[in-house]
Amino acid sequence: MALSTTVSQRKLIKRKAPRGFLKRVFKRRKPHLRLETSSDLLVHLNCLLFVHRLAEESRTNACENKCGIIKKDHVLAAAKVILKKSRG
Amino acid sequence: MTARRRSHKARSIDRLAHIQAGGHLEEQTPRTLLKNILLTAPESSIVLPESVVKPVPTPQVVQTSRRESSRGSLELQLPEVEPSTTLAPGLLAPGRRKQRLRLSVFQQGMDQGLPLSQEPYGNADASSITSSLNLTFATPLQPQSVKRPGLARRPPTRRAVDVGTFLQDMQDTSLALAPPGDSLRTPVTTLPTDTVLEDTQPFSQPLLGRSPTVQHSLPCPSHSGAKDVERAVGHRTWSSGPRLQNSGPGKPAQLMAGKVEEVDALALGFPNTSSNISGEDGVEPLQNGVGEEAEGRMKEGLSMREVEEATEAQGSARAEEPEEHTEVTEAEGSQGAIEAKEPEGSSGDEDTPGRTASPELASSTPEFLRARRLQFPEPAPPPSTAVLTSEPPETLSARLPPRTRIPGPRPRQDPYKTGLNHYAKLFSFYAKMPMEKKSLEMVEKCLDKYFQHLCDDLEVFAAHAGRKTVRPEDLELLMRRQGLVTDQVSLHVLVERHLPLEYRQLLIPCAFSGNSVFPAQ
Repeated sequence: MALSTTVSQRKLIKRKAPRGFLKRVFKRRKPHLRLETSSDLLVHLNCLLFVHRLAEESRTNACENKCGIIKKDHVLAAAKVILKKSRG
Repeated sequence: MTARRRSHKARSIDRLAHIQAGGHLEEQTPRTLLKNILLTAPESSIVLPESVVKPVPTPQVVQTSRRESSRGSLELQLPEVEPSTTLAPGLLAPGRRKQRLRLSVFQQGMDQGLPLSQEPYGNADASSITSSLNLTFATPLQPQSVKRPGLARRPPTRRAVDVGTFLQDMQDTSLALAPPGDSLRTPVTTLPTDTVLEDTQPFSQPLLGRSPTVQHSLPCPSHSGAKDVERAVGHRTWSSGPRLQNSGPGKPAQLMAGKVEEVDALALGFPNTSSNISGEDGVEPLQNGVGEEAEGRMKEGLSMREVEEATEAQGSARAEEPEEHTEVTEAEGSQGAIEAKEPEGSSGDEDTPGRTASPELASSTPEFLRARRLQFPEPAPPPSTAVLTSEPPETLSARLPPRTRIPGPRPRQDPYKTGLNHYAKLFSFYAKMPMEKKSLEMVEKCLDKYFQHLCDDLEVFAAHAGRKTVRPEDLELLMRRQGLVTDQVSLHVLVERHLPLEYRQLLIPCAFSGNSVFPAQ
């Protein structure tokens, strides 16, 4: 195939926290609550760690299946585990 | 071969020391003996390597005789092992470098009459040769490079051709992808023109091959035909997904012709749109564009199905094959059938039993669509099945008023998706492996769920503390419960690891001059 369906790693990752996005999401779901300034950043940190764990788990799944590409079912299985862990 | 020799080298050093300590050969295998020969100093003359080669292989035709000869040679060399030990490491370095050369020299020796099966003895030859030829290895570099001409010359010729054909193929795919839209509008008549339009390039042929399969599936009411077409179309969407994104909205505009062509358009247009839909941001505008044009040619329910598809997508209950969903839901809309909800309720029952019910339909074209529609109830993941089943009844009732819901969900989708996209990119960065685009969508869904859980937990924690504002302590408690913050790893450590400096300064209280702490506590 000339066109690849996988995502390459060459994009730059921006380190900024999408504070407005997080605040808006929180406001949409819980309009009666307020989010503090610093806790905004901690929410972003939490998301980063969640994504990090998810990525590690799906990479493990993909390597176990001896795939060079992370596929949907790898992510799915990883998500079940990690979401269960992150219940709190 | 060379790697094995290097490993032998590493082992032989130990064995040599061992042997020296022992004073006699422990393992009298040919391999160990030959390794010792490799390490010991050259005994034979340096000047005439060939003379060494020939007398060495000739007595070693028989294994036993060879062993004796090697042993004999070793016994001769044993008393000189100690003085040659200092030379051995020095020999090893050139030996390692020249192992490949040794191989070629060995091959020379082989050509001179050694049987191939007796490789260790070939090592012996090589070793004896090396022992004699250690000093000559520097000189035969040039002749040995000449002796391996085939290996040096092969790669460049191949690569030049590959790149050229590849570029040609790239150009021709762009050419080939444009005409198929026209070719499928009037399938029968334009077949000969297709062959004229498209060059004899490999990429155009699979598309050509698929267009006749589309036509064949229509007249014959066979499930397998429908299946093949779906798969072929599915494959085509995969292969031409990003390319056709641009031509996707254009294609539905072209496919405004009669019904037979409509079906073909459905077959192609919807996979394209579905690939658009399942792709990156801008879901809504594409769907709207397709919806407006679809209404012009199909029944009213079609656009509603797309809108519902959009809402369903927002509900984050997409199963593993969103492309088929969009195709199927649009097919449903064309039917205006409510029976689609029944297979949705039964999650997981496969396509074939559903399709067996389908052939009783009147025309082949609706049956084709229905067959694809019945692929809709794919086995969704367990947490999302509940959402899926809850959503379809809502979408059913909402199907009746057309178009009113389109502006509603739109502002929610775009910035929300871009925010999730940010984290999805971080996912692909952390994973350090190539990923499918479908898996990125899955990641976005998981993130959505995660945000829900997060907000709920924070609400509970804040309420537990009697507050209505979520404070950093709540977050710390959350992370502690998640297992991220432990007694060994504190929150500050995590902040330092993962956040950039500006945020660190905001989060971690630091003492400044004048007895001031920032941020103030």
